[in-house]
Amino acid sequence: MHPALQPLAERLVTYLAAHWRLPVSLRTVEQIPGGASRETYRVRVEAAGEIRGLIVRRDPKTSLIDTERALEYRTYAAVHAAGFPVPEPLILEEDPRHLERPFSVMAEIPGCETSVAALRDPARAALRETVGHNMWSLLGRLAALDVDALGLDAFMERPAHAAARELDYWAGVIEQDALHPQPVAAATVRWLRRHLPQPSGRLVLVHGDYRTGNFLYAPDGAITGVLDWEMAHIGDPLEDLAWSLDPLWAWPERHLAGGLLPREDAIRTWEAASGMHVNRAAFRWWQIFASLKALAIWISSTEDFMNGESKEPILAMAGWIMTDRQNRILVDRLHPAARHTYTEPPA
Amino acid sequence: MIPQPARALADLAVKLAQSIAPEAGSAYAMANTGLISMLLLAMAQDQDRAVANRVADIEDLKALFAAAAAAHPDAPQAGRRAAFQTGPLPGLRLSELDPWHAEGLAALIELHAWADANDPALSLRIWDFLVSHTERNRFDLPGA
Repeated sequence: MHPALQPLAERLVTYLAAHWRLPVSLRTVEQIPGGASRETYRVRVEAAGEIRGLIVRRDPKTSLIDTERALEYRTYAAVHAAGFPVPEPLILEEDPRHLERPFSVMAEIPGCETSVAALRDPARAALRETVGHNMWSLLGRLAALDVDALGLDAFMERPAHAAARELDYWAGVIEQDALHPQPVAAATVRWLRRHLPQPSGRLVLVHGDYRTGNFLYAPDGAITGVLDWEMAHIGDPLEDLAWSLDPLWAWPERHLAGGLLPREDAIRTWEAASGMHVNRAAFRWWQIFASLKALAIWISSTEDFMNGESKEPILAMAGWIMTDRQNRILVDRLHPAARHTYTEPPA
Repeated sequence: MIPQPARALADLAVKLAQSIAPEAGSAYAMANTGLISMLLLAMAQDQDRAVANRVADIEDLKALFAAAAAAHPDAPQAGRRAAFQTGPLPGLRLSELDPWHAEGLAALIELHAWADANDPALSLRIWDFLVSHTERNRFDLPGA
């Protein structure tokens, strides 16, 4: 264990012992890299003779994404109860006395990977394809879940116009957080307002950040846990599909969606699993929106890095390199004579 | 003095990624060392070109504003654009150039919004500028 983690580990063990009313001892603790919205720790403890693997997510001092931890936790609980593959939520503690900031505890799903970089190896092409089909099939399953049966209305707003609501929110983030004028973002917001789709015919649970890197997969390619529900909301079923297909997640390999599957295969897989048909005109709107939302997150992280307490390198990375790529993607999508260097031509 | 600071920064990035990151004591430290190495490579690129790119953007914006003034002398915010068009460069430090660059981009956003509704050819020309602007500021990183 890194010595810097010792005080946190000791306080956590004290907390768990009180919470479970069991003697608890620490086995291991390590910080997991890449937790852009929460500090994330993998912890193993022994409680009443049993080894338990836990994932602890603590609020950061500042974050890439400003989110509501209770909403995320309740979403985990709702989809877990519905049999959707997510880590089992165990504890939500909002009192900052225990670990200085609020935190949640989930059961660890062992023996899985999140990175798909290793699947670029041509020798693993079959596994890559399996993971890809499972990724979009599972997203289709999510879109098919019944919002009423999940009980989401108890803690999520049901929008009258999902596209307008999302656009207003993320355009506001850009307006509030941009440290320098953003002509690409401004032009995109104007385009999106001019081409706003009709209100969604069907509202579903939107994950909000469904992409490669945000799920766990087993050695056989099965997806065992979908992670990072902090941007979950009730919205349009095309939103998650468009987000999952943004060229940024496949960079620099733009021919495979998410680095996994040909884009049209991914869409067909989603359609089969969701039972819905992708309206291509509406989908173009959601794809452009997805790139704008990502740009808003990168702009916001730049502001966090410069003005906030956290100096996590991921914030600088998002603000610098991701902003550059997302700007190029949006110009490529919206230029009236686009060359489609970074994006696919409209279907 | 190191006469090629961009190369020196890139060399430090490689040192960090290839020699120091593997010695980091945890996955968290190793991942962040890798990120900082990538950021150093990006800084190396930007360090060399940033002033030239800001000046190129400003020159392109002046040309756009001149074309807009000739075609649409009564378009909104013409005075703001004229002031930018005729204003001298405030200096060659980024800290001096950036506020002026920001003023030009803010004026461009207003002009683009107006052109979208009133002059498709001007709007297209602004999109062409946005292609040049984003491409000249792109980061090219090995393996990413």
